[in-house]
Amino acid sequence: MSLSAGSTNPFAPACGSEHCITCGDDGVPMVIVALDPERGLALCSDGADRSTVETALVEPVRLGDRLLVHAGTAIAKLDSVLARS
Amino acid sequence: MKFVDEFRDPELGRVLAAEILSLVEPGRHYKFMEVCGGHTHSIYKYGVDDLLPANVELVHGPGCPVCVIPMGRVDDGIAVARREGVIFTCFGDMMRVPGSEGSLLEAKAAGADIRMVYSPLDALRIAKQNPDREVVFFAIGFETTAPSTALTLKRARAEGVSNFSCMCSHVTIVPPLRALLESPDLRLDGFIGPGHVSTVVGARPFEFIPIDYGRPVVIAGFEPLDILQAVSMILRQLREDRCQVENQYKRVVPYEGNLRALEVMSEVFALRPHFEWRGLGFISHSGLRLSDAYAELDTERRFVVPGVRVADPKACQCGEVLKGVIKPWECKVFGTACTPERPIGTCMVSSEGACAAYYNYGRFAREREVV
Repeated sequence: MSLSAGSTNPFAPACGSEHCITCGDDGVPMVIVALDPERGLALCSDGADRSTVETALVEPVRLGDRLLVHAGTAIAKLDSVLARS
Repeated sequence: MKFVDEFRDPELGRVLAAEILSLVEPGRHYKFMEVCGGHTHSIYKYGVDDLLPANVELVHGPGCPVCVIPMGRVDDGIAVARREGVIFTCFGDMMRVPGSEGSLLEAKAAGADIRMVYSPLDALRIAKQNPDREVVFFAIGFETTAPSTALTLKRARAEGVSNFSCMCSHVTIVPPLRALLESPDLRLDGFIGPGHVSTVVGARPFEFIPIDYGRPVVIAGFEPLDILQAVSMILRQLREDRCQVENQYKRVVPYEGNLRALEVMSEVFALRPHFEWRGLGFISHSGLRLSDAYAELDTERRFVVPGVRVADPKACQCGEVLKGVIKPWECKVFGTACTPERPIGTCMVSSEGACAAYYNYGRFAREREVV
């Protein structure tokens, strides 16, 4: 576990510059960089870090799609909702 | 970054601040609650409240899932974590929430196998890597996080991972809002609605607020301009004598929510008759448990969980902070006995907690100019 930049608290979880991704009503915009359609997973990047993301709630997805990710699950597809609004 | 930078433009911020100023009636005091801890964090981080006229007051709501977990629930988690052969997994902020005899982090230091995860999927991975151990995921969060837990439980069943279970402490946002609106010691003029909870549940569940209680709601995003625009939209409703649910966060929140997420939640979860909230007490139908169809993955049915009830520490005023009755700095122990390094109350633990957000970003600038 790495520490938050500038944190004075040695026990603070690594939250990056924004909110803690693990809690709260928070979401992180990420881009799909690889797909595993058989398992319904995608490798996503937020520009700095990569993580495995569950895509069942926003299928179908394609490489390059932008997702709003919360606790390892994509809860919205950003481009499509932007187009809709 | 696309979808982020556009919503931090200082010029547009000044335009919105001027618009807000033009909408307020001098001499009237406005009190708006931001329901979500993510909003609280952004308000302090970006100094949003410094751009508001002094007669527009933002009060912090109960929308931080860590802050509302009662001490007894932490004690229950520690009791499970101490069992022989158990690997206990939870989100990072939850590790530091104090129980009656210390936190999960302290239990880990004393020898329990407690591991921080970033998602329920990580916990499932640990279970697959340790087939001879019982892996428990301590699930917390509102409707934003609950679909993630639900999908992981479905995956665990589909993949036949039998050593995985979930200690479900998920909560729902509407019952505490209704409890707050019924509270006689709190007068609110409007709500900044939770953005990402609404991505899942949609806007419809908040319609009872204007219909039953005559208060406007604007569902908002988390960037500074989102919050300023939401304040402006609430003020405009009041100015025009309207009262409805509006959606400022249309770029992410569809009116009907995410139907697949709602479907998976209704399959995997069931409502508890009541659930204890820190500072708010027991609220009917406000917590989720695993449905009978998923009973075999329920930690509380797999192990004996003590079901501990512990009163909040007397010095701690998290309850009043969560209800928006007092500001963080008005608590007797804020910034002295209770700090992010040594929290007494949960609001000081999470980065989304009102006390921690205020302690980290705003404690040096409390006075504002009166308009």
